[in-house]
Amino acid sequence: MIAQRPPLLRFGAVLVAPEAAIASIAADPPSGARAFFGAAVWLGLLPPLFAAIGTMTFGWRLGVEPLFLPAGTVVAIGAAYFVLLLFGFLSTAVVARWMASTYGADASWSRSFALVTLVGAPLAIGSVVHLYPNAFVNVLVLVPTLIWSMYLLYRGLPAVMKTDPGRGMLMASSLIAYLLVSWVTLLGITAVLWSRGVGPHVAT
Amino acid sequence: MVEHARNGAVEHYEDRIVAAFTFCSIVWAIAGMAAGVYAAAELVWPELNFGLPWLSFGRLRTGHTNLVLFGFGVSALIGTSLYSVQRTSHVRLLAPKLAWFVFYAWQLTIVLGAWSLLAGWNGGKEYAELEWPFDIAIAVIWIAYAVVFFGTIARRKVAPIYISNWFYGALIIVVAMLHIVNNLALPATLSKSYSLFPGAQDAIVQWWYGHNAVGFLLTGGFLGMLYYFLPKQAEQPIWSYRLSIVAFWAFVYSYIWAGPHHLHYNAIPEWVQSLGVIMSLVLLAPSWATMINGVMTVSNAWRKLQTDPALKFIVLALAFYGLATFEGPMMAIRSVNVMSHFTEWTIGHVHSGALGWNALITFGTFYYLVPRLAGRPLHSTVLANAHFWLALAGIMLYVLSMWAAGLSQSLLWLSLDDLGEVRYSFVEVMEAMAPYYLLRLVGGVLFLAGTVLMAVNLRLTFAGARTVAVSAPALVPAHAAAFSAAGGTP
Repeated sequence: MIAQRPPLLRFGAVLVAPEAAIASIAADPPSGARAFFGAAVWLGLLPPLFAAIGTMTFGWRLGVEPLFLPAGTVVAIGAAYFVLLLFGFLSTAVVARWMASTYGADASWSRSFALVTLVGAPLAIGSVVHLYPNAFVNVLVLVPTLIWSMYLLYRGLPAVMKTDPGRGMLMASSLIAYLLVSWVTLLGITAVLWSRGVGPHVAT
Repeated sequence: MVEHARNGAVEHYEDRIVAAFTFCSIVWAIAGMAAGVYAAAELVWPELNFGLPWLSFGRLRTGHTNLVLFGFGVSALIGTSLYSVQRTSHVRLLAPKLAWFVFYAWQLTIVLGAWSLLAGWNGGKEYAELEWPFDIAIAVIWIAYAVVFFGTIARRKVAPIYISNWFYGALIIVVAMLHIVNNLALPATLSKSYSLFPGAQDAIVQWWYGHNAVGFLLTGGFLGMLYYFLPKQAEQPIWSYRLSIVAFWAFVYSYIWAGPHHLHYNAIPEWVQSLGVIMSLVLLAPSWATMINGVMTVSNAWRKLQTDPALKFIVLALAFYGLATFEGPMMAIRSVNVMSHFTEWTIGHVHSGALGWNALITFGTFYYLVPRLAGRPLHSTVLANAHFWLALAGIMLYVLSMWAAGLSQSLLWLSLDDLGEVRYSFVEVMEAMAPYYLLRLVGGVLFLAGTVLMAVNLRLTFAGARTVAVSAPALVPAHAAAFSAAGGTP
């Protein structure tokens, strides 16, 4: 019966009963398409939506004074944010599937999509903090959420990807390396764009 | 071959010195990290210096970096290199008394050096702040260390020199060269000297030293540790020995040129800066070759993860090694550097390497080493697992808060008003950073708490024990034949 529930509810359950949610998804993962269109896309919509509302209402705050952007810019940034999140989701699922053969895991799309959705769900829901886009408040909420997501990755990967806990630990660490490098690449690309005049005006 | 009775007839490895370096390293780790935590707290609550010069941020921060780098890091490197060089050479250390001189002299230098830094003696060069009397002492101790290490290799009973010894050897040779050249100075008083190099040349020499201290000490030295202790712990040979050799030479060749990326937009020739960028990018190849070699080696040892908490630290260390060695070259690119330089992003980068790579690989090694030195199992696997999660949470909190702080700081500093003037004052930007500093402090406290747990765990593991006496095993026939063919006497 649990498997008949909408994917969004099954993945969202990780917030209240992580062990049960992991066990349910591991026992009967939704198909890749159901996980993507039924959960990941909707979860991925939350951060840009919250960020857009927050930016237009309160302005972005780096700690000095709020920065208000024109509505068109906010929508463009929100759309780019959404596309980037979907790209991050898909690329991480592809990498997880690619790694699966090395670590003796199930290399099906359904399981790799389920894993990334499961781990990303707390972050997507935690992005509610974007409604008040003060940089520090966001860091304060999202960093512990990220640590919780990392814990879910270590905890959930062996079950969801159907591999031994030892090999799952290795695969989770490899995925963390990939995610950290991706994150830093994003920082680097952002810095290059900003220093070349794309984005907030900065002197170089 | 393990023997619990010591007798004069059998030549045992000199492992008591390894235990001594290990426990001193742990003491310095706690002292150095505590100094870092206190300095981090001062950035949130400046009044914590109580108006005392000895507790001022400038002195405390220097004490922190020197204690963790030279007290914790170098003690761990010397100890583990002396452990592994004996086993890979199948002989006892050359000149054990000289090795003990290295131990006592190094610890004394750390104690007095930390005191001098807190007292305000400072050469003014980052990571080379110790004044000239200490510089001379360090050079003498380092040469003594080189004699012990290379002398042991010269007495080896097997023909090949194992890859870990190449990395430790490069550490010893290059750090000697860097230290001596960068600290060439004219003493004015006991506590003050002036560099022999003028102006921009001094900066180039300093960052040739500074970056290669990162390269050959924090990267190369710890790769020596990885290449010996990872296969031992995983009970697997290196995935590709050939790749490790290729990566070693590529690493040695390319690292030495990368220093000028610390001096972008400074008064040094632009081509020197560009050379630094190119060699920094090239460096990614050998760095990641080593990471892949490590990951593939450990991927065959997954069964051990069930019972061996130490391996977890090494696996996670490899992930952070991959991050730090990617982030470094990226930050060397000028258009990234213009945003990241002088901001907290750099601090975050340094700590993703220092905590995520150096500290975790050392912790993993100590969890392997101490039970074997004591001849008994680790006191508590539960404590070790708790340490793992505290360390991971601490690193993430630290690094992410510094990334966010760095980008915010950069945007604020580079914001101009309508007249083209800087929009925000330094003080305003610092005030905006305070919340991130608080978060970083929490991360540091978590990491320090984990380190204290490890210290207690390892102390209880070793309590009442004597270092197990171990002698070299008999050579396998193939090695003995190869050694004889090379003119050696097994």
